[in-house]
Amino acid sequence: MKNQNETNSFRGWYTGEHDLILSNLSTQKVTEDHVKPEPSDKDIFDESEKALRGVYDTTSNRRLKSYNLLYQISAVLFCIGLAFALVYTVSYLPSVGDKDTPANSSVVSERYIEKGLEETGATNIVSGMILTYRAFDTFGETNVLFISTICVMILLMLDERILHSRSGKEEEYESKMEFINDPILQTVAKVLCPIIFLFGIYVVLNGQLSPGGGFSGGAILGAGMILYVNAFGIKKTQRFFNESIYKVAKITALTLYGIIGSYFYIMGANGLNNHIPLGTPGSILSGGIILPIDIAVGIEVACTMYAFYALFKRGGL
Amino acid sequence: MTEFVSSFLTVILIILAVMVLLCLVRCVMGPRVTDRIVCVNMIGTLVVFMIAILAIKLEEGYLADICVIYAMISFLAVVVLCKVYLGVYLDRKNREFAALENDAEDLENVESIGNAEAVNATMNKETKEGSENVNA
Amino acid sequence: MSTLEIVCDVIGILLIILGLIIYLFQIIGLFKYKYILNRMHAAGMGDTLGLFLGLLGIILLCGLTFTSLKLGLVVLFLWFSSPTSSHLISKLEVCTNEEVGEHAEIQIDKEEDMQ
Repeated sequence: MKNQNETNSFRGWYTGEHDLILSNLSTQKVTEDHVKPEPSDKDIFDESEKALRGVYDTTSNRRLKSYNLLYQISAVLFCIGLAFALVYTVSYLPSVGDKDTPANSSVVSERYIEKGLEETGATNIVSGMILTYRAFDTFGETNVLFISTICVMILLMLDERILHSRSGKEEEYESKMEFINDPILQTVAKVLCPIIFLFGIYVVLNGQLSPGGGFSGGAILGAGMILYVNAFGIKKTQRFFNESIYKVAKITALTLYGIIGSYFYIMGANGLNNHIPLGTPGSILSGGIILPIDIAVGIEVACTMYAFYALFKRGGL
Repeated sequence: MTEFVSSFLTVILIILAVMVLLCLVRCVMGPRVTDRIVCVNMIGTLVVFMIAILAIKLEEGYLADICVIYAMISFLAVVVLCKVYLGVYLDRKNREFAALENDAEDLENVESIGNAEAVNATMNKETKEGSENVNA
Repeated sequence: MSTLEIVCDVIGILLIILGLIIYLFQIIGLFKYKYILNRMHAAGMGDTLGLFLGLLGIILLCGLTFTSLKLGLVVLFLWFSSPTSSHLISKLEVCTNEEVGEHAEIQIDKEEDMQ
């Protein structure tokens, strides 16, 4: 028995069955005296009303009233002062495209602008720069998106058993309280969601030709998903985007970025005279590694946007 | 793009910017939440017009993409804001109703809540009847 | 410049001015009426007709290119989404305002739903 416990202890900890430290201690059974009854709805409501009435009472508290007035006046004055200061600073900036500014006259930016097109193959110099010359920085940013969703999942995600036990009550709650069964919104969403998804894919694929790229395209795809879930409900969305698909998509996208970009991380600047085919600038299959990386970043950002919305709203995907 | 058309478009931009400020005044003044949601939507549409004018004036074709994105985001904002506010309001009303129900006081408050749930119930009924007609 | 271009430019400028006048009506209506459901009539006018005339004028000014097709997509999108926003906001207003009976008549079949 003890051998089994020791060999399965890692798996038991991983799936959450028992704790490595507490599993060897025996806990006292909780008796009825120690358990406080849960506060009823009426108690919660009474407490909140009492707090609201006591704290925000302005009729009897003259100090509070004068503080409110002072706050409003000083807020307006501060905003006007800040606006003046900012406009005054902006008037000192050089005009757009001036040759004397540090950004335009340093050696690095001149080389990027001169050799950008022939070395990266991208007509849009900005995309070429952040995804070829500075691919490692962008990889760090994509990592930040990944880590932030993990943190939100740790803090806000509810256990699967609770979500399943709630799903019956959740449907009743949704149908009574929200716009789920609104026929106008559903019809319009049926027409608009395909347009939004197609437009998002168009923006993702056009990273190297015109302003766009992975980040903005991914945001549009995420917005399309949020519209779909608002119009049709969570059950229909889970038919094509649930938690397992989300996990697979996110991890695959980040790993793909890491693997594809690793050529530049290892070779450094010597990778520029490289063997990656650049294609003709101006066509869609150009730019070397920019196109696959754009697709990976787009998937990553879309999953992030939708995951934030779903986790904050119902505690699960 | 002639000089005259360019300066004409600049004047239009200035007039539109003044209109955005006026919308903002109404947004701050409006007594209810729905006033503010309508004004935010209107500011979004005005900005779409301004970006389209800029796309012509500077002769950069890709600014038209931003118009589509902005229209999309402002529509989505209205949908999500309406849902969130309705959910919060009905939640608070249900809790008030549950608190008063325990006191077993007079049921006049049923009238005020019946409004919201009755509207939802009629919409659900109409959907069910509509789908029944389609299925039949 | 050929006469066709001049004519197109003039018509485009006229259409933009017309769109701006409709936006002006929208702003006047926003301040004139006293209740939100009345103001929404004015708001819907600018979102659909004002933007359509304005963008049509811009398309005429710049000629038929890929850019003008994208502006046409903007008009299509806004013609679908703006009435839906009005519908949702008015539904929210009716559901959450307790004094809505003073400003407007509401017909709900209460007997069937209170069962």
